[in-house]
Amino acid sequence: MPTSKGWVKVPLEREHHEQAQVTLVLFWVGPYRAAMEACHVLAMTDHPTALRTANAHSLLYDESSDQPQPSRWLTLRDTQTAKGQTASTWQLGVDGDISLQQLPASTLYPLPKLLQSRLFSPALCGFTFEQQQLVLLLDAGKLSLHKPYSTSPSPPAISS
Amino acid sequence: MNSETSRDSHANDQQQISQTLEEALAAHHDDESVVDVDEPTQQLVLFRINGQRFALPGSAVSEILPSDQPVYYVPGLPASTEGVLHLRGKIESVINLQPLLDLPTPEGTPSGMILLVSASGIRSGVRIEQLDDVCEVAQSLLQPPPETLSSTLLPYVSALWQIDERQALALLDPEALFSAYQQGLG
Repeated sequence: MPTSKGWVKVPLEREHHEQAQVTLVLFWVGPYRAAMEACHVLAMTDHPTALRTANAHSLLYDESSDQPQPSRWLTLRDTQTAKGQTASTWQLGVDGDISLQQLPASTLYPLPKLLQSRLFSPALCGFTFEQQQLVLLLDAGKLSLHKPYSTSPSPPAISS
Repeated sequence: MNSETSRDSHANDQQQISQTLEEALAAHHDDESVVDVDEPTQQLVLFRINGQRFALPGSAVSEILPSDQPVYYVPGLPASTEGVLHLRGKIESVINLQPLLDLPTPEGTPSGMILLVSASGIRSGVRIEQLDDVCEVAQSLLQPPPETLSSTLLPYVSALWQIDERQALALLDPEALFSAYQQGLG
């Protein structure tokens, strides 16, 4: 940064922090808005196409059997794939209004320390806000590790 | 100035001096009201939960937030967690102490203030029912909790302040509260 006395050294770390953006896929899980890093989402479909699927409700907060049917499916990379095996995918059932957004890193807040040991899902890693509404930030890797997937006996036809 | 006015004025002065001396002398006779400035004191934040009187060390309470501070519900957390709040670019948790203290959880929208409490490197909001006072209390007035104290309260009470014959106040240990919460209690 030039000044009358020459160049002023700006700490690179701070400069990076101020400019950093994170690309997120935002979606609904019942009445709650949630988001995960876009790099984990490989595709989006209207119907489940993968062998293994899970409803976001059951992974995040609700174990009851009375769950609404997801309206959209996000295809995610399977982080549980054993070494040497070909990386497979699974699908997360979510609700409508899916959007891709770039948010400043400074608006993404980590989970308060006190809550870390009491979470139903270890995938919840922070919060942000969208039009003054709380958005749950999810760690896609921990989401897939949390619960065993439901395995469909015969996967439905692939749809785009 | 006439002589009568001057006499009245002098009388008033005498009355004022007399009252001041009276108060000063009375103060010397009232041993209990003498404050030993050298006696160590502790700042306490006095409040109520479910009508019961509690306190937290003032050193642990960094801020008192108004009751209308927005708190956002977070799914997948125990009932003792009210949610999170957004305060000056940071997210803080908000918990209720009722489950830990074995008190009934009030129904409806929480309406009391929120104490921002720090202990053991953890900071969290704690919802209270009513803020009573923030005051300095002589350390000598804080007694160890009696063994007769409820076993539910005992782990979280560091001292008892017997305010008068009828009223006692439990000084809560914020570290013990947070530790218990993290261990899954409450």
